[in-house]
Amino acid sequence: MTDIALQTHGLGVKYGTFHALADVDLRIRRNSVHSIIGPNGAGKTTLFHALTGRVRASSGRIELDGRDITNTSDDDRVRLGIARSFQVTSLFPNLSLRENLRLAAQGRTPWQALAPWRRAESNREALATADEVIGRLALGAVANRLAGELSHGQQRRLEVGMAMASRPRVILLDEPTSGMGIDDIEAMKQLIRDLGRDHTVLFIEHNMGIVMNISDMVTVMRLGRKLVEGTPAEVREDPEVQRAYLGNMITGDIA
Amino acid sequence: MNPLDKPPVQLGLALLTVLVLPLVLKSGILATEILIFAMVVAACNLLLGYTGLLSFGQGIFFGIGTYAAGICLTRWSIPVPVVLGGAALLGALTATLVGWLSIRRQGVYFVMLTLAFSQLFYFVAYTFSDLTGGDNGLLGVPRPSVGGTALNTPWAYYTFVAVCFVTVFALLVMVTQSTFGRTLIAIRENEGRAAAIGFPTRLFKIEAFAISGAVTAFSGALHAMLIGVAPLSNIEYHTSELILIMTIIGGSSSLFGSVLGAGFYLLLADALSTVWPRWLLLLGLVLVTVALFLQRGLWGLVERGYDLIFRRGRSIDSETPAKEH
Repeated sequence: MTDIALQTHGLGVKYGTFHALADVDLRIRRNSVHSIIGPNGAGKTTLFHALTGRVRASSGRIELDGRDITNTSDDDRVRLGIARSFQVTSLFPNLSLRENLRLAAQGRTPWQALAPWRRAESNREALATADEVIGRLALGAVANRLAGELSHGQQRRLEVGMAMASRPRVILLDEPTSGMGIDDIEAMKQLIRDLGRDHTVLFIEHNMGIVMNISDMVTVMRLGRKLVEGTPAEVREDPEVQRAYLGNMITGDIA
Repeated sequence: MNPLDKPPVQLGLALLTVLVLPLVLKSGILATEILIFAMVVAACNLLLGYTGLLSFGQGIFFGIGTYAAGICLTRWSIPVPVVLGGAALLGALTATLVGWLSIRRQGVYFVMLTLAFSQLFYFVAYTFSDLTGGDNGLLGVPRPSVGGTALNTPWAYYTFVAVCFVTVFALLVMVTQSTFGRTLIAIRENEGRAAAIGFPTRLFKIEAFAISGAVTAFSGALHAMLIGVAPLSNIEYHTSELILIMTIIGGSSSLFGSVLGAGFYLLLADALSTVWPRWLLLLGLVLVTVALFLQRGLWGLVERGYDLIFRRGRSIDSETPAKEH
């Protein structure tokens, strides 16, 4: 296996005549934390949609572990090992936290779930995965609460947990800290760092403290294109980045 | 979860219904009709309550089952179990087709598509009167016989239908408890998320349609044998509407709610129609009441009553009217 988990060549997405994404080349190293930053409208979320298969690439190629997945459907990509969390929390609000995670774990073997005679509890692996993720999210105390009744910070963590439960190799997090308070942000930071030890994490983030703190690599995007890519230190020093987008924000390392 | 929603309790209530109906009702025909519609409504509930699909196409499957029984039993002497199995299979196939085409659109457009199919199948049945008898329907559909004796008395046929009902209800409980059923609930809750975690949601919806169609057509066949006719009205749009109304009155949060819905509607219709020819007007008021004040239907009322009597003070947080849908 190569050292590169996820790779794109000249990836582009067009909505009508509008180029939301153009000529993006990415190389995401295995078991690293790679963040995507850029102003609103830079194409970050579109990039995620293209990587997960929610929108089809209009040009270019996407490779997962060297395998071309450009034309693979979104649910097939989940089975191949790509999972994502959403910028806007998207859970099953009237189901318990544990059931949310059990479903996400079951999503790896969805054909099994088509059998109307098979009991949900018979998939012990999914139950074990759900419990393991609950432990890693540190949400054991509220595991039987309805997802809709959890606090915002807990819901955001569960949102990341939904991606973890499919046991992905590559995990895409779309603004995991959006709308969070300071305490919750710290917990999320720990969680992402922890994930990076055994997952390839690609995440979109606006909080520069987190980005500079826990990323191995940073890609800066603007107007649908890649502007600069490098280690946090390199990106911080890059004059073009400073001019184009970040200004002084980038010096603040506090989370 | 309310203890009344547990599968053994649901099954127990279904069994109880089968045993109680002969004690309280004089008419075996009415009792049988209640059980037949209870199955149909439970099948509709699988789509509406569990999957979140409001289908106006249930009458199609009911009618298909009715005609399958009517044609097979009046023209050829095919054994009844084969006819029932064949009707279920045909219902599943038709529902797969209707579902496969309808779920391409969501919300109102989905509803309109099922409505359009409903009209389409009605006119197909009306047009091919050589096969279906058109306006007159097919007359002289015989009752089944068990061990050489025909089940000609209403209560004998009731027993036959009761066995079918308990079996089908148990199967539906199993479906809703299965990993499949729980995935349907997830799709109802948040389809986008269900797809994002890897479920091919369309396939799940089509399968829900197929199961619903099979049960509905099976019941349609039983209905033809009950009334001895395969009438055109069974495939009419009005039947679809009737099924939906029963489902909503009963409440779509549990399968036994459907039995309540069917029973309540048919008993009320039976009582009201003898006192006033314009009884449908009163029924309209009932529906308005349910829509305004009882959004979880009769079953919601039962659950609330149970909580009041047995769980007073405890677990008030399980009573969350905000989560009604």
